[in-house]
Amino acid sequence: MTQYTLRRLLVALPSLLGVLIIVFLMVRLAPGDPAQLLAGEFADAATVERIRERFGLNDSMLVQFQRFITGVAQGDLGRSTRTNRPVTTELIDFFPNTVELALASIIFALVVGIGLGILSALKSNTWIDALSMILALIGVSMPTFWFGLLAIRFFAVEMPLFPVAGRGTFSHLVLPAITLGLSSTGIIARMTRSALLEVLGQDYVRTARAKGGTPRSIVFKHALRNALVPVLTVGGLEFGSLLAGAVITETVFTWPGVGRMLVTSVLSRDYPVVQGTVLLIAVAFILVNLLVDLIYGLIDPRIRYD
Amino acid sequence: MTDTNGAADRPAPKPERQRRQAPRWRRRLARNPLAIIGLGLISGFLVIVLFAPFIAPYMPQTQDLRTTYVPPGAGVSFRGPDGQAGIWVSPVQRSPVRGIEINDSVAYPVKLFQRGPAYEWLFGLVKSDLHLFGVDGPVRFHLLGTDEQGRDLFSRLVHGAWISLFIGLISVGIGLGIGAPVGAISAFMGGWVDMTVQRVVDTLLAFPGILLAIVLVATFGTGLTNLMIAVGIAAIPIYARIIRGSVLSIRNREFVEAAGALGRRRMGTLFKHVIPNALAPLIVQSSLQMAIAILFAAGLGFLGLGAKPPQPEWGLMLARGREYLAVAPHVATFPGVAIILVVLGFNLLGDALRDALDPRK
Repeated sequence: MTQYTLRRLLVALPSLLGVLIIVFLMVRLAPGDPAQLLAGEFADAATVERIRERFGLNDSMLVQFQRFITGVAQGDLGRSTRTNRPVTTELIDFFPNTVELALASIIFALVVGIGLGILSALKSNTWIDALSMILALIGVSMPTFWFGLLAIRFFAVEMPLFPVAGRGTFSHLVLPAITLGLSSTGIIARMTRSALLEVLGQDYVRTARAKGGTPRSIVFKHALRNALVPVLTVGGLEFGSLLAGAVITETVFTWPGVGRMLVTSVLSRDYPVVQGTVLLIAVAFILVNLLVDLIYGLIDPRIRYD
Repeated sequence: MTDTNGAADRPAPKPERQRRQAPRWRRRLARNPLAIIGLGLISGFLVIVLFAPFIAPYMPQTQDLRTTYVPPGAGVSFRGPDGQAGIWVSPVQRSPVRGIEINDSVAYPVKLFQRGPAYEWLFGLVKSDLHLFGVDGPVRFHLLGTDEQGRDLFSRLVHGAWISLFIGLISVGIGLGIGAPVGAISAFMGGWVDMTVQRVVDTLLAFPGILLAIVLVATFGTGLTNLMIAVGIAAIPIYARIIRGSVLSIRNREFVEAAGALGRRRMGTLFKHVIPNALAPLIVQSSLQMAIAILFAAGLGFLGLGAKPPQPEWGLMLARGREYLAVAPHVATFPGVAIILVVLGFNLLGDALRDALDPRK
């Protein structure tokens, strides 16, 4: 296990390096003068020169990259050209909100998705099954922002059950979490159904039936435990995607997270913030995937580490 | 010697297998009701793209500031002034004070094949002013209502359909054209080539979902063309990863060894024997990728990173509708329905193809 963990960590390292390279190159490959981009659109010549000096944009790419990595390692991602605050501070302020939203969404998606999947598998080839799977597929096919808008219209404007936007109380969280989690719910429901159907056809389930187990005990004591292993893995991976998917949901609900920050900064060409946000989301995604892999190994002893 | 060479050139086991298998997967597909629904949705979408200016009664950019936010069905009745059946339209106007006003005293019939605004289609090949339907009279018939500038929402949706199709096709094209060969070569060569390519793929996959497209748009600028390329590039690692798996499972099979033993060059073997046998998952992915690309593009359009006004891109239309959600909810509703139907079509087809092409079934 230790060896597996180490090997998995080593495999993640090149991805991390690749992400750093891409984020570094973003400003250099963008059309225009990188110093101007980093200084912001309305910066005067002196400021641009100062930025060029400060970031050493006249040095060779390699030297610049080395300096960039050193900066990242020390938590220095530059300053926002819009607010002039350090990017790291901005990220520390806003990232927890995104994690909060993504966590709420994945909990919603797991509870509803697994429930729907179990129902579907137990009633397989009935109208209940068909209906839940069509619902799941619509969940996957729906633009989240459209659902968000409809949710705002019906549950915040016409029936003011929840606030229209913003963050604060639990009721602020409900609509954005459902909106963000909807597509994951569909994926998890479909996954649960197929995994459970596969397990229900296996010999040991037949044995449990032969021993006289009730349908309920067979599903919940024997089948579900094994069926849920891949489902939880998918759930973990989905959580990573939700961190990025939050970009749209946060914009719809003006949720103060890094996703909305990313969009605002792309639109205002605030490159230091774009770089910092992208880096953070990608690194978080890599770490979540790594964690999921490790947990997968822990909960399923059949996984071999070689 | 000539004989054996001929055997190597002939893709040995493939034609036979395909002849036996092709009807089977097609039969499976035809038996699956969900596949039929998916194909129906996609066909409808293609028809709309192909005949957009004919199907849409008006041009997508024609404004009428006297008829802003007309809800769908306003001024429409199913009985004419003398009790005739059919669809009849009365003049509708928005008053700044009193809101929507309908002049019931007159009504004009909606007829099929009406003359309307002139259009050029298929790069100027077709010039016409014939539309599928229109009002025989001096009023406009807004099937799905109008937006904030009094533009006909139905016409805008119909005229914007090609954008979604293009985005999907370009994304699949880039994925298939770059991702698949790169992934296949990487898997077939193995060694350091595979190692290097896979690390690059890993890196691209480290950007979850829509993030890679946002990174590319942020780097190269917003706009429809960049958005299409960005969504396409985001598809590359997915294709590379998928074909790698199938090539790895095929490259040690007997017929591949046979091609090598018969003196075919490695790349020739790869493109002639291995890739054709690894296509099934790519076909499935292409249908699903169309769905993903359309959703991504709509999302980016919604965020303001894609198409620019007044382009009738569905995501952008939704974003505009968002601002008037309380006054005119239909403006945001219908583009979303259009996106769902198209994405659902490609998802249903992809699912059905996966089932039909699955050799285990």
